[in-house]
Amino acid sequence: MSRVLLVEDDPFVREGVQLGLRRRGHDVRAAGTGEDGLAALAGFRPDLLLLDLMLPGMTGVQVCRRIREHSQLPIIMLTARGDDFDVVIGLEAGADDYIVKPARPEVIDARIRAVLRRMDDGSTGRPAIEVYGDLTIDRIGLTVSKAGRPLTLAPSELRLLLHLSAAPEQVFSRQQLLENVWEHTFHADGRLVDACVARLRGKIEDEVGDPRYVQTLRGFGYRFGPL
Amino acid sequence: MITVPRPGRPRDEENERADGAGPAAPTRRRSRVRAFGLRTRLLAAFLLVAAVSAGTTSALTYREARNALLKTAQDMAVSTFRDQVERTGWRLPVEEEGIEEILRDLARTGKPRPWVVFAEYGSIRASSGENPVSSVITPELRRAATADRYGSFERVVKDGVPYLTIGMPTVFKTGPDSTLPTGLVLYAVMRMTDEQINVDALLVAARNGALPGLAVALVPALLAARSVLRPVRELRRAARSMGSGRLDTRIPVRGRDELADLADTFNESAGQLERSVGELRDAEARARRFASDVSHELRTPLAGMLAVTEVLDEDADRLDPDTAQAVRLVSAETGKLAVLVEDLMEISRFDARAAELNADEIDVAEAIRKTLQVRHWAGDDRIRTELPPDIRARLDPRRFDVVIANLVGNALRHGGAPVTVLLRTEASSSGTLVLVVEVADRGPGIPAAALPHIFDRFYKADAARTRSPGSGLGLAITLENVNLHDGTIRAGNLPGGGAVFTVEIPLRAEEAVR
Amino acid sequence: MRHARWRGVARRHTWWRGLATAVVATAGVPLVGGCGIQDSDVIEAGGPATVEAFLNRDADMLLFFRSPDGGLSPVIREVRPSAGFGEEYIEPGAVERAPSGPAGPAPTEKVVLALLSGPGEADRAAGLTTALPAVREKEAVKVEVSSDGGVTARLPLAVRALDATAVRQLTCTIAYNQVKDGRGVVTLRGLDGAERSGSCGLAPGTSG
Repeated sequence: MSRVLLVEDDPFVREGVQLGLRRRGHDVRAAGTGEDGLAALAGFRPDLLLLDLMLPGMTGVQVCRRIREHSQLPIIMLTARGDDFDVVIGLEAGADDYIVKPARPEVIDARIRAVLRRMDDGSTGRPAIEVYGDLTIDRIGLTVSKAGRPLTLAPSELRLLLHLSAAPEQVFSRQQLLENVWEHTFHADGRLVDACVARLRGKIEDEVGDPRYVQTLRGFGYRFGPL
Repeated sequence: MITVPRPGRPRDEENERADGAGPAAPTRRRSRVRAFGLRTRLLAAFLLVAAVSAGTTSALTYREARNALLKTAQDMAVSTFRDQVERTGWRLPVEEEGIEEILRDLARTGKPRPWVVFAEYGSIRASSGENPVSSVITPELRRAATADRYGSFERVVKDGVPYLTIGMPTVFKTGPDSTLPTGLVLYAVMRMTDEQINVDALLVAARNGALPGLAVALVPALLAARSVLRPVRELRRAARSMGSGRLDTRIPVRGRDELADLADTFNESAGQLERSVGELRDAEARARRFASDVSHELRTPLAGMLAVTEVLDEDADRLDPDTAQAVRLVSAETGKLAVLVEDLMEISRFDARAAELNADEIDVAEAIRKTLQVRHWAGDDRIRTELPPDIRARLDPRRFDVVIANLVGNALRHGGAPVTVLLRTEASSSGTLVLVVEVADRGPGIPAAALPHIFDRFYKADAARTRSPGSGLGLAITLENVNLHDGTIRAGNLPGGGAVFTVEIPLRAEEAVR
Repeated sequence: MRHARWRGVARRHTWWRGLATAVVATAGVPLVGGCGIQDSDVIEAGGPATVEAFLNRDADMLLFFRSPDGGLSPVIREVRPSAGFGEEYIEPGAVERAPSGPAGPAPTEKVVLALLSGPGEADRAAGLTTALPAVREKEAVKVEVSSDGGVTARLPLAVRALDATAVRQLTCTIAYNQVKDGRGVVTLRGLDGAERSGSCGLAPGTSG
């Protein structure tokens, strides 16, 4: 179905996850270190990267940053619960989602599908291209440009922006966004949303401290506009 | 794969304990100056001693000085009187004529002051003054002069005026060695007004000396009180400091007195206490680290095993029945083991105080509904809910989900249907609004003996049911999660049968119903 | 808790009482000691004063009369050569001594007669009286000195009826005219044959 690159240092876990995902129809390539993973990117050209945070040598966060320098490859972090600090750093480094280990293959599969799923909601009955201030959003081509200059958004950022802009001025709680954008449960970690919003603002806002497009409603959540 | 406890949400143990102990322990706020405190008593004792010594000294000094003053005056008067009398000559019998002249003569020579001289002889009464007989001279003096024939004196206070009265019987020589009373007795009466003035001055001086003495005594009294109270205060502060957990508290030892010994003993005891507590803490920390390490080490292989259980499950049908059963068993137990390890890690994090509260403002009714929905309990007719809308609270959604899921799961496993989940807000006794979630079942309830231990780790209320689907840590984790929200949880039985768990989490005013 | 507090209060009370006692004691010391000048008892301050009485043992005689307080008062009277009875004596102090006056002590018989004749004018003016009865017979006085120094006087009156003062008047008068210090036992023998003896004991230092 999709090409998944797994970077995991523990051979048993690596093998197990590889086996589980392959059974679910994914084309899985595995690497034991961050360096090997980066080297495998060019040849394998994966659709998605499953990245363990705790790696010998180059850490998962460093790998994540390196990739985000030039690519919008969807990245899902593998993490242990309690490594919350790393989760935040990983999300800030540009990861789209995270999975807490140990996880069953069906959970990992669900996350992968969610990240890779094309945005299809809100596009019916609407013009393909919408303009909000300096921002131009192409819902069909899935591109965003600001003042004519195309922006490179990570999959989670793009999905968040599309979701929010589909209903301008409507407030979404973190839980709603987790359910609708990330397809997590209601009770997942709200910092996933916060980190993504922060990254998105860094790309689309003129002034990050005084956001215009993605606004915070303290105590409730986020909304798009009003401009 | 050892996670180090990171600085997360501040859950300051000391603050919390201090706050917690605040209303529970009787607030013994003592005023600095107590009516009968050590300082007051020390001061009083000091002043008392000073007053006694100053008073006694003054009084004794005063008396001595007064007596000396009077003695000087009296002795001088008596000796002068005798000298003067001895210079007089009398014919016997004494004749009244001319007697007053002699008396006036005598009166002028009075020392230290002029006196009035009275003469008594037979029936003759004469004086240098206006009245021939003095009203001041007492019968006692007269008897001493006439019967005992001694020169004697007496102080007499009459109408507030002190007098010195001297009685002087006279004798004449009948031979070189023999004398014979003449029968003539001379009296001198002298006002002691000057002496009185001097004595009064003495008294004033004594009093004026004693009062500043008292005032001066106040200074060493305060110093002494301070020198005693300061170590006592230090001791109290140190004891309180120890009580609040700072076991490294020590007192500076000054001098070699009893208080220094006390401080020494305190320090020694504090040292031993600190060592013992330190050893206990080390042991406990080692035990916890061990549990944490074990679960960490278990997690990595479990991650791999869990990844392949699906493969086992899917292919089990193609294996021969025995192998299939074995494979399914391994798969199922692996899942349980994963849950157990996760719970152990969670508990370890609470123990290490590394648990973080990622609070977000959420709709509580929705959160509970989602919890039931995710666990596929939403359409379950064994569960009844009463979830009023529009209650918003600042909660950690994941931890709240764990709390509700554990309670409901526990009720479904151990209790009987129907399980009811009740949500409401109410004002607590202290006036703050609290969020209340009640999970009740209609089962047999919790045995009374089990109630105090229901939140203990791995506690099994029913000894027969040694294996339960849960890890045995569910309620312990629930308790920790509620506590992390500054809330409380309690277990009880309903009057009509069945167990009820009540969670109360305080709401802040602005987060209440909007 | 409540018990302990009550006990504490009780202890506090005793403490208070102690303090109060101490304060009273402290304040009391100077008060009891007395302020200012107080009455005193009669305090002896030496013996009597010796005055000049112009006694001339060669020319004067000592007579003892009764003073108003009941005691004896000596009076000094000059002895005249023709000392008769009653009117012949000279008022002491007021009269210049006669140049022809005899020297030497008066005989005791004469002195006793002078005593028996009673107090003179000046004596009476000073309130002196006698306890002796009036005597008519003259020349009936006889004084003898025995070998042991004792003095016996024969008197022209009944001795038995005499009161103590009268006896002392006689005893002292005889003793002091016999010896300078008036010591010695005097025996009185009256017409009634009774005898009474004693000593004068008027000198300071002797009891009586």
